[in-house]
Amino acid sequence: MSNQALVDAEWALAHLDDAKVVFIEVDEDTEAYAGNHIKNAIALNWKSDLQDPVRRDFVNKEQFEALLSAKGVSNDDTVVLYGGNNNWFAAYAYWYFKLYGHGDVRLLDGGRKKWELDGRELVSEVPSRATTKYVAKDQDRSIRAFREDVLKAIGTQNLVDVRSPDEYAGRLLAPAHLPQEAARIGGHIPTAANIPWSKAANEDGSFKSIDELKALYEGAGVDLKKDTIAYCRIGERSAHSWFVLHELLGVKNVSNYDGSWTEYGSLVGVPVAVGDEPGSA
Amino acid sequence: MSGCGAVVGGVSLDNVDITNQAVIQGVISSGNAPASVGYARLLDRNDEFVAEVPISKQGEFRFFTVAGDWTVVALVPGANSRTPVQATIGKVLDVDISVTK
Repeated sequence: MSNQALVDAEWALAHLDDAKVVFIEVDEDTEAYAGNHIKNAIALNWKSDLQDPVRRDFVNKEQFEALLSAKGVSNDDTVVLYGGNNNWFAAYAYWYFKLYGHGDVRLLDGGRKKWELDGRELVSEVPSRATTKYVAKDQDRSIRAFREDVLKAIGTQNLVDVRSPDEYAGRLLAPAHLPQEAARIGGHIPTAANIPWSKAANEDGSFKSIDELKALYEGAGVDLKKDTIAYCRIGERSAHSWFVLHELLGVKNVSNYDGSWTEYGSLVGVPVAVGDEPGSA
Repeated sequence: MSGCGAVVGGVSLDNVDITNQAVIQGVISSGNAPASVGYARLLDRNDEFVAEVPISKQGEFRFFTVAGDWTVVALVPGANSRTPVQATIGKVLDVDISVTK
């Protein structure tokens, strides 16, 4: 697949020692990076680095600047993100870097899983990078949706629920690698189409071809001329789908609802659909 | 808010009430020994992806789900295999999978 937003292992291998290319592993589980990682890669933690420690929100512009400055990332660096979970959290970080206006950010196709399954080298040495003075832009709200945007979109714009069919229908309350919680209701936002993120990925975690990706969304009857909001449970799987639509297929009017089902499914008085059908507005 | 990250080997059963869920767990072996690198993937009755965890150094994996028919796909470097399973609420189903390269 040829796209500047996506790099493959050969490209990565040719740039592992390039000082202006910063490889960043993004996981929720920091033990993965601590165990081993791609040579010269640094790490970001999806939660402790990128989430506000008190409120449910992102770190603000100043905090993001301080984070990247401390990590030794410059504004003119090429940032290459990769991670576990089929690049869920790396795609989330990609969207996050775009949100704060980083110029050149890319995703390693297949992430950590494909790298491992292909038997490529992982190392334990942690590189040191000199601190920088990173300057972020204001958040690009065109790629981030909030609950008000979602409520307005019901029945009028595209809502794409990228969770598994059983989560969409309300039969599962979380991905099956996590205990099933009992306190939150199950279901989906009415009129949302269910196009699981996994349909965009091959078994090794790499993205399917552009033609296959186009066919996936067109086949699901999503009119991409309309605005589209993608969501999942907490916004990382939908960042993967946002990446497919916005970065690989070039659909510009797509945003990610990072509040996702953990927020929507806890709201009082909003419409909810259960079962396998989208439901009505 | 908890994240969606997959813990290596699967989340521990400690402090998890398994009376309201079905647990599918096991060990993936390659040759005659537990695989140390690989992934366990869970598919639903329609072969749709549901979840995936990196296996532990001892080849272990664990999923939490509901009753029904599922398939565990073992992915190790150079090989994979599919194992159909049937899960029951309140039960821990042990599935040992041997993958041949």
